[in-house]
Amino acid sequence: MSAPTADPGTSVSDGRYVYCVVAVEEDESDERDDWSEPNGVDGAEAYLVTSDGVGAVVHRCERTPNPADLSSVKRSLLRHQHVVDAAGEAFGTPLPFRFGTVVEGGDEAVERWLTETADTQRKHLDALSGKWEYRIEVGWDEDALAETVESNDDRLRELAEKLEDSSEGTSYLLQKQYDKRLSDLVYGEREARVSDLVERLDPLIDRMEELGRPSVSLEDDQGSDRQSDDGPTLRVAVFAPKQNEIPIGDVLDDVEADPETTAVQYTGPWPPYTFAPSLGDEGNGNGESTESNADTTDVGPGAGGA
Amino acid sequence: MPTVDIDGDEASDGLFALVIAVVEILVDALEREAIRRMESESLTDAEIERLGSHLAELEAEIDRLKEEVGVGDDVDRLRGDLDGLVSDALLDLDDSRPGVDSR
Repeated sequence: MSAPTADPGTSVSDGRYVYCVVAVEEDESDERDDWSEPNGVDGAEAYLVTSDGVGAVVHRCERTPNPADLSSVKRSLLRHQHVVDAAGEAFGTPLPFRFGTVVEGGDEAVERWLTETADTQRKHLDALSGKWEYRIEVGWDEDALAETVESNDDRLRELAEKLEDSSEGTSYLLQKQYDKRLSDLVYGEREARVSDLVERLDPLIDRMEELGRPSVSLEDDQGSDRQSDDGPTLRVAVFAPKQNEIPIGDVLDDVEADPETTAVQYTGPWPPYTFAPSLGDEGNGNGESTESNADTTDVGPGAGGA
Repeated sequence: MPTVDIDGDEASDGLFALVIAVVEILVDALEREAIRRMESESLTDAEIERLGSHLAELEAEIDRLKEEVGVGDDVDRLRGDLDGLVSDALLDLDDSRPGVDSR
């Protein structure tokens, strides 16, 4: 059910850049006809094209974004996200589109596509309705975890005592033995904390996805440097009903109060970037579906906060 | 999939770093085996002392060589790359269960 989209970085005739799809009630016609968002990608004004109770947020364009131009992509991603956020505020949880999706043939083509796919779109929108994506990142201080483990483990204490009065060769191996046990226990302690947190979040959320490291940082060009000084962390996106936003925050407040926790980041509500079905992925593979993969870029945390 | 790059400033440095990395991995494996035997109490105190002294000497010698040739960073990088390769291989194994397409 992919829209007939144009290749990246090319000229298009009567193009419509698509941000997201939203649910519009028939009796909201005034509201939806008036809705627009002036600060879209490339400064264009985004507006709504509707058909059969669903609406696509679009702007008029003559070229498709060029994913090779990284600095303009970064700027455009923020604008893209800004428009999707605004549409979400006005019409409820949106079905976000991949960055760079452009349909040719004007509003008529968008309308035609909406009519054809309205049933599926509504089904997806109903499933997302009232729920939002939240990003959670919890970091633990490895040294503090090690201290906790050391003070609670009898075997480590025993090894430390043996270490003190053993000769050189033996103490070398005892030290290795100590280090290995310590690192195993610290790993286990971290795993226990993660599963405890996941268990506590479970009744509050619909779904959870573990996130990799951010591939592109929007703040600077050295995103990969962030890996080096990090201790053990949990980075997840969760999909949860809006009313659970504060209960989730309360759970995270508890975790933050632990002395071994270094940082807790909780951001959202975001449009369901991680949890929305990928409409483009259902294309027929003949080149119609050529959206950039830029939506996997981490535009969530860092661009706002809760 | 990460690749292992052995092109140091000098080709011989790259090769040397690779050799040292392999020796370090071997010594790590020996140490783990020694600890396993200690824990299962199959070594006498004298054997533990002798084994520990040998391994300590090996480690000191490796550190000295790394310092002398200045390849410490290259060795760490290579071992990091190897970790990545092994992780990917394990993930691939996990993916290639019957009936599941491998990535």
